[in-house]
Parts: sequence; C-alpha cells; structure tokens
Amino acid sequence: MTAVQGGTEKDVRVEVRAFIEDNFLYMSPDVELGDGDDLLAAGIIDSLGFVELVEEVESRYGVPVADIEITEENFGSIDSIVRYVERKRAAP
Amino acid sequence: MASRPDTVAVVAGARALTFAELDREANRVAAGLAGLGVGLGERVALVLPNDLEMVIAVYGVLRAGAAFCPINPTTKPAKLERILEDVSAAAVLCDRESAEIVATAASPRAAIVSDIAELGAGAAPGAGAAMIGPDLAAVIYTSGSTGEPKGVTLTHSNMSFVADSIIEYLEMTEDDRILCVLPLSFGYGLYQLLTCVRCGATLVLERGFGAPGRIIQLLEESRITGLPAVPTIFQVLLSLRGLADRELPHLRLLTNAGAGLPEPVVRSIRETLPNAALYLMYGQTECQRVCYLPPAEADRRPTSVGIAIPGTEVWIEDDEGKPVGPGVVGELMVRGPHVMQGYWGRDPGSEQRLRTGRWPWERVLRSGDLFRRDDDGYLYFVSRRDDMIKSRGEKVAPREVEEALHAFAGVRDAAVVGVPHPMLGEAIHAHVSPNRGVELDPTVLRRHCAAMLESHMVPQLVVVHEELPRIGSGKIDRRKLAEVSDE
Repeated sequence: MTAVQGGTEKDVRVEVRAFIEDNFLYMSPDVELGDGDDLLAAGIIDSLGFVELVEEVESRYGVPVADIEITEENFGSIDSIVRYVERKRAAP
Repeated sequence: MASRPDTVAVVAGARALTFAELDREANRVAAGLAGLGVGLGERVALVLPNDLEMVIAVYGVLRAGAAFCPINPTTKPAKLERILEDVSAAAVLCDRESAEIVATAASPRAAIVSDIAELGAGAAPGAGAAMIGPDLAAVIYTSGSTGEPKGVTLTHSNMSFVADSIIEYLEMTEDDRILCVLPLSFGYGLYQLLTCVRCGATLVLERGFGAPGRIIQLLEESRITGLPAVPTIFQVLLSLRGLADRELPHLRLLTNAGAGLPEPVVRSIRETLPNAALYLMYGQTECQRVCYLPPAEADRRPTSVGIAIPGTEVWIEDDEGKPVGPGVVGELMVRGPHVMQGYWGRDPGSEQRLRTGRWPWERVLRSGDLFRRDDDGYLYFVSRRDDMIKSRGEKVAPREVEEALHAFAGVRDAAVVGVPHPMLGEAIHAHVSPNRGVELDPTVLRRHCAAMLESHMVPQLVVVHEELPRIGSGKIDRRKLAEVSDE
C-alpha cells in the first residue's frame, strides 16, 4: 500500500493543531498558540510529549519516524510538523 | 582544575569553555562577589538553567569562599521566596528571564545579579579564598515529607569525597564525554559537573531532556561516552524506532538513579545497548550517592542497587536499631564522609535523619527507605518509609500537591497518591471532594496545580468524588485511592 493517508496540507495543519490542543494545550487555556511557536520553549510539550506527537504522526499519516528525526526542527512547532509530514509523504 | 588547560571542560549548545577559560571566568565571578560584599561562608543562590553561566557561577561562588545554593529556575515564586529566606541568601545569580520573579522573592538585603557577564568585569583578580574541608560548600534544597523545602548542608569535604568515590567506581577518566540533560540544581545533575571537572572529562550540557532525536544526535556526533539518566529518559529512548540498530561505539557508560528501573526496562537496555555498562544506583540529597550495582551484576541482579559506594558503609536495621540479616526488611543506614552536616538552620542534634554513629563525634544517616539484602550483600529497595512519590525521577511530597488543591475554592478534601506508571515511574493521581453545592472540573484543577506547582508535581489525573473513602479512624483511605486508576 502506497496510498497517501490523510488529506491536504491544510487538513494536516488543522489535524495537528487539534491534536496538540486536545492533548497538551487544555492545560494552558490562556495560550494563543501560533503555527510557528516553539512548543518546547513554551512548555507545551516535553520529551514524553514528543513521543506522543510521533505516535500520532505515525498512526494518522502512516509515516514511519526514525529516532534521529524526533528533533525540534521536525516536531518543534505546528509549522515544522506539517512540513515534516508533507516531506515524508512526498518521498517516503 | 585539570592538567590540560586547553581541553574543553563544558559544551552547551554552540558554546564551550576550556578548563583555562572556566578558571578565569570563575575568578572573575569570585572577584565580583567579593565586590558585592559577599563574605566567607555566605550563601549565594543560583537560579540558572543548565548553561555555561551556571557552571561558571558554581565555581565562582566556591572560589569566593561562599556556598552555592542551586535552585531550579522553574521553581514557583512562593517556594523560591521560602528557600531564599531560609538560606538567607546574600546574593542571587540569575538570568534576565528569571530576574523579575527573583526580585519579588528575594529579600531587599540580597544582591541580585541578572547577568553574570557583568559581574567582576574589570575587577582585579583576587587570590581566592582559602577554604578547607570542614567549610560549607553548598546548601541543596529537597522536599521534606511535609512538603516544606529543607536545605541539605554539604561541606567541601563532603562534596570532594563523593565526587572522588563516583569517579572511582564509574572509572571516569579525562577521555570521558558525559552528556548531562539532568538539571544541575538536582544532586544527580550537579555531580555530573563536579566529577567531570575533577577528573578532567568533558561535560556536554543540555537545557533538559527535550527532543529525543537531539539526544541520539549528540550521542553520535559528540561521541558521548556516558549518559546519566532517570527511568523516564530510558523509557523514552527505548520507545524510539532505530536505537537498537545504532552503533554508538563511544558509549561505554549508562547510569540510572532518581528512581528504580523496572526489571523489563533493565533487560531492554541491556539488549538494546549491550556494549554500554549499566550502573543501577541509589542516592539521596542528604549524602548524594549511597550505592551502585557493579555493571557485571546487572544481568544477574537486575532489581538490585548493589553495594555501598567506595569509602562508605551501609547496613539495614530493624525498628529497635539492630542490624538484620539477609532477606529481612529494615531501614537502610548510611555511614561515611559523604553524610550531610544536617539541614540548614536546624540543630543537627535534634534531626531525626541523623543519629550518633560508632564514635561519639560521628553521625550516621537514616535513609528513611526500607531495604533488604541478599545472601551476597547486594541491596534491594523495598519502599519508602514515608508516602513520598517518585515521578520522573523527582521526589514529590503528596502534602505539597494537596495544599495546592486545597487552595482552590470549593475543594473540601484532597488526597494525592502515586500510582505505578510505565514512563513516569509513578504517576500522580489526585482525589478531591467538593464543598456542598460546588461542582469541580478536573481539568480546571489540573490547570490550577500547573500554575502553583513545578511541572513534575502536577497530577496526571484528577478524580472528583462526592466523598473520599475513609478508614475506621476517619483518615482518608489512601491505599484504596491508589487502586482507583483511570476510569
């Protein structure tokens, strides 16, 4: 199966934001999270949060994530997660 | 400091300090502190994240003849204020990020320095204060079972002894490159710095355990030889795809402390990283390190924390203070030059955790933890004597979390328990009941806790009950609550 799971880039952005809001952000209702905001520096996720994000990306988009890819460059903000997913779906 | 002044002592992100630079910077800070009027034996609080400034501050304070008091910069204002007052800090070294909170929390008498680069600039380097073994070197705060912070007092002799003992059993050399993601405000993290500087090894310092991929990159690219960790770190790393296929030829040393590693995790670490020696250890702030399992025993006794560290003695006692034999559970007792002098500001003679030792001048440490040993003398942790929770390798006093919950209007009763959790060691579960006519929202209560407490103390689960279950005497039935899991 090589069919691409999930929808367009815009859908990914909406889904990633919803996942972060449901799982991490409900603890900080006053935070207005921008797509480029640093999730680690803002204290929204920690190392366990990265693991949860990776599991979500793997299961929802069928994208296998290697250990060394779980960096701030790839998972540090909504923008970077969307970019990472798009890149992996284009060239898995 | 080291025989190789041009070797890198500490790396933090893109910046690094050689031993010679660390030496020079520490002298500058010491001169600056002297200029601020910080006298011999006075306490200087360090409210700094893991970075070069924290490293320079530790050695600068010591060189000024003062004692350092490391405080995690995520500490909430009310607790920070209690600690700064308790230790009567003469100065607080912080950064711009924490300067505002520090200014509110510190006494007007304390000098606040929010940029240590400005400290001692242009001052003539002093000769350095001649401190000797019995002088105070550090006061490190730990949570007591009632939740109030207690300052463990450690002398130069205490600290240099422990550092040498650790260097000896970990067989550390100047070729080691240790990756420290543990906070330097925490004894286990602080000793990574102290041992590396003492033996001339290189410390690679991270702000914390953030993105796991970053740690894998560092292990490879920075040719890390040693990774000190707590169970949560091991659990996260083992959950990653691909770790088992990595060579990591430089990694020779893994250590665990802070909380015990479950046996399946020990086995999994050994299978995934078979070439690295795994040291299972146990310690507490009151003496820093108590025991370690020689790595050759890790496969045979994966649930043991081993034997006393070199130069010290441990044994297990019953309630009457008599030593017990193999297999019998009792309190672990600790004897050696690493035992603290007492808690800051309290009479050591009245301190329950210290007891007269073999000699009239000697004090031994009651660990407060129940242990047993096997026929060969290897130690096994059984349980804590108090109800402290260990989550993410850090101690959490249920009382402290309960007080935060009680501070929320409408909470009548609150009981906080630790529940075994595969990633955290123990998860923190809070059980509350409301005042009549009040509706409590678990999410709102968790947010309230997040605003009042450090992140590792925030309950993972809040359960609202109409009434909390009680035992015959009317006390809250904590055992029953610990059995109520996610529902």
